[in-house]
Amino acid sequence: MALKPLVFQVLLSLADGERHGWSLVREIQQRGDFDPIMPGNFYRTLRGMLAEGLIEETDPAAKPQEDDERRRYFCLTAAGSAAAVAEARRLEALVAESRAKKLLTKRG
Amino acid sequence: MRLYRLLLLAFPAAVRREFGDDMTALFAMQVTDARRRQRSVVRLWMLAIADAIANGLAERRSGGRAPRDWNGRRLIAAFLTDARYALRMLVRQPGVTFVAVATLALGIGANTAIFSAVNAILLRPLPYDDPDRLMTVWEKRPAEGVLDNVVAPADVLDWARLNTTFEAMAAMTSTPVDLTGSGEPERLNAGVVSPPFFDILRVRAALGRTFTRDEAIVGKPRGVLLTHRLWVSRFGSDPSVVGRALTLNGGPFEVAGVLPASFEFSDESIDLWAPLQLEGSAQPLSRASHQFFVYARTKPGVTLQQARLDMERVGTLLQQQYPDTNRTHGAWVIPLEERLRGPVRSSLLLLLGAVAFVLLIACVNVANILLARAAGRRREMAVRAAVGAGRARLAGQMLTESLVLAAVGGACGLIVANWSIQALKTLVPDGIPLVGLAHLRLEPRVLAFTAAVSLVTGILFGVLPAWQLARQDPNGALKDGGRGPGGVRRRLRVALVVSEIALASLLLVAAGLTLRSFLKVLSQPAGFRTSGTATVTIALPGARYRSREAYFTTFETLRERFGAAPGARGASATSHLPLSGRDGRRGINIEGFVPSSDAPTRAHPRVIMPGYFDAMGITLVAGRAFTAADREGSAPVAIVNETMARRYWPDSSPIGRRVRFNGDGAVWMEVVGVIGDVKHWGLEAPVNPELYQPLGQPLASASLMTFVVPASGDPASLASALREAVHAVDPNLPVSTIRTMDEIAAVSVATRRAGMQLVGAFGLLALVLAAAGIHGVMSHLVALRTGEIGVRMTLGAAPHSVLSLFLREGAVQAMIGLALGLTGGVLLMRTFRSILYGVEPADPLTLVAVGTVLLATALAACALPARRAMRVDPVTALRS
Repeated sequence: MALKPLVFQVLLSLADGERHGWSLVREIQQRGDFDPIMPGNFYRTLRGMLAEGLIEETDPAAKPQEDDERRRYFCLTAAGSAAAVAEARRLEALVAESRAKKLLTKRG
Repeated sequence: MRLYRLLLLAFPAAVRREFGDDMTALFAMQVTDARRRQRSVVRLWMLAIADAIANGLAERRSGGRAPRDWNGRRLIAAFLTDARYALRMLVRQPGVTFVAVATLALGIGANTAIFSAVNAILLRPLPYDDPDRLMTVWEKRPAEGVLDNVVAPADVLDWARLNTTFEAMAAMTSTPVDLTGSGEPERLNAGVVSPPFFDILRVRAALGRTFTRDEAIVGKPRGVLLTHRLWVSRFGSDPSVVGRALTLNGGPFEVAGVLPASFEFSDESIDLWAPLQLEGSAQPLSRASHQFFVYARTKPGVTLQQARLDMERVGTLLQQQYPDTNRTHGAWVIPLEERLRGPVRSSLLLLLGAVAFVLLIACVNVANILLARAAGRRREMAVRAAVGAGRARLAGQMLTESLVLAAVGGACGLIVANWSIQALKTLVPDGIPLVGLAHLRLEPRVLAFTAAVSLVTGILFGVLPAWQLARQDPNGALKDGGRGPGGVRRRLRVALVVSEIALASLLLVAAGLTLRSFLKVLSQPAGFRTSGTATVTIALPGARYRSREAYFTTFETLRERFGAAPGARGASATSHLPLSGRDGRRGINIEGFVPSSDAPTRAHPRVIMPGYFDAMGITLVAGRAFTAADREGSAPVAIVNETMARRYWPDSSPIGRRVRFNGDGAVWMEVVGVIGDVKHWGLEAPVNPELYQPLGQPLASASLMTFVVPASGDPASLASALREAVHAVDPNLPVSTIRTMDEIAAVSVATRRAGMQLVGAFGLLALVLAAAGIHGVMSHLVALRTGEIGVRMTLGAAPHSVLSLFLREGAVQAMIGLALGLTGGVLLMRTFRSILYGVEPADPLTLVAVGTVLLATALAACALPARRAMRVDPVTALRS
């Protein structure tokens, strides 16, 4: 089952460690020329991911002290990592097949 | 970002609490980003609105279930598809569409028109640099309840010298002047100002210069500044006019410059500006003759509070230094903008409120139309849902249809608005030019307002049907063939009827009270006859009429000639015509009356000619009127009005008592008569003490008199005869506009009349819309309940009992709506008490009248559909 693009993007960004909301968005937008990610959609997606156990909120006490207290930090759960890996594999397989069918050359 | 917070209201409160701050921060980042990359912020906002509506609704619907993915591009694509579909739907049902669009166009158009007035009058910045720093300064007389008295010349100079918070201060007054020497003599209106006046306003001459410091000094050469209008009309836009010599009132002036065409001032009648020379005068300046308006600009960073404290200090200083003249007054600062706009603000806000309520009623009507239509489309929607359309998607489609409808309504509303603005211009008097209706037009800000109103309107009337639709059970709808159950939907419709009546009654209360106030004002006795009298003002130029005798004989000759004009029934004259806007006050001394220290005795002086009271229809209450025998050499006499008699001789008759004006030396005047009160400042303004003197006696002097000529026929037809009479006496004497007393009286109540007409029109519109709305809801309810009616009638219910069933239901709903609306109306009008005159917000007559009218309307609107219900054929009803 394919993951929704935004979900995968979030998982990918969290692979480096915990992040807060808009730094996630910034990284995702830097990855490619997307339409701006709108807050309503983004946080609804996050809520969905929290509900499905793909990500979790980190303990507020563990936050760096100098940070704004209102920010909420998220990190991957085991299920989240697994889902990300599975999706990456799926994409990898798709890319490999595209190459095999000469849809893609090595360069690009 | 506060706006974005509003958008977040689309989300459930729990989500808002949890993520609201984060979402706002994220959006702020997106906006910064878009700006940096020079992308459209408007597009971002559109995306955000779509995002908030779609995801907010989805959150509300899902109640925490795992969400679907929505992104902006897909949303916009969906919106465009829906919009195209919506347009097709609108075209397919032209009748429904026409009613809805017309209702919206009326509502939005009226709102746009009134907002354009608010925009022109309240929101447009004053046309000067840094208008917030412009102030007017006045004499404050707390004991008399006056905060805006005009200022004496010596005080102006001291204020300007002693204050520390103002950059500059200038005195201003206006006076008629005669321009002679080159071409036709012409009577012009001159603004006379201290030289810093134009620096204070930051106005530069378009040609030449404005005034210099030196021109403030008595005896120095004086320049004049021409307004653009005068420069064009009198001097043919000749650029070489600067430096030309002019004769004004017989004195030499030189044209210093021409003001730019864009220059505006609150007194539009001013043709040219001359410098006020107060400094370096040989005689000490008066502190007792109050005559100037004072304009000032604060230093940068000075607050109103600081300026007021500073002037308070200056005022106290002068009180100590000149107790005789300044004991009872200080100084008071009022921002120029407040001074100009304050008086109209609450009337305009009331109008804006009224018109907003009209729009709300329009929204309720359209919501109801859409609900009825949605009911007819239950099956269509159910099919769509069954083949996989999500509820949010369906609700989105309904909302899109509403928005398209609102957009069409808004576009038609602009046509209505454009038409209304023209009507508004003819209906409403120009008012003060600077803040008046001259700038009334559909400008970008007004268009933006219309767009916003249309959007909000579309959401307002669209949310209800969309919500209704989204929550329906597709299975049920498919099974019952799209007819639908009563329950919830009926409650919703009852709520619609109740809210229509509540809104309409609220508005009618406002309209009723405004109308009552207007009638109260009109019923105020003016104290003089307003009909059948022509007036003409004659000012004798001091240069040619040097002696008192010259004035007097000329005015006497004019009086005789006017009185003998064909169609005239006598003539007389006064220095201060009622309702003309001219007035002044002087301190008086009353024999045997000891004034309290903080409330000095004052009276408004009026100089009149014999026969004035007769000519104006003013009642003589006691004693006698002036006669030709009251002239030089006879004992000085005076006549007082009733207010003055009551105030200063409360227990006895003033006849035979003596009074004198301060500054007239020891010459006493004997009171020989008392006249009835005359409304000088307007029908609703209180009457002040007035003291009349005969022009024939040397104590009285006036170079400007307004003649009143009662006519046997139409007073306007006297105009040419009066003009000829003036020319026969002195061909060089300019003649003012000849106006009838009727015109002058109409102008004095014009603003109130216009306000009353507008609120009344909105009340009527609300009533019609509400009636149409109630009729619509009731018709639909009857249609929904055809089956039930069939059952009742089969079981033996008489037709008239069906009729009374519907009427009873309508009446109950109307009563609930009335209770809400009348209470709301009274509460609303309490905040607008300042607009009312002689009537309380909870005026029983108004409330009963509004209640009766609305109840009757509601019942009539119910009766038509109810009669249809009565005629239902039970067999057909049951079969359907």
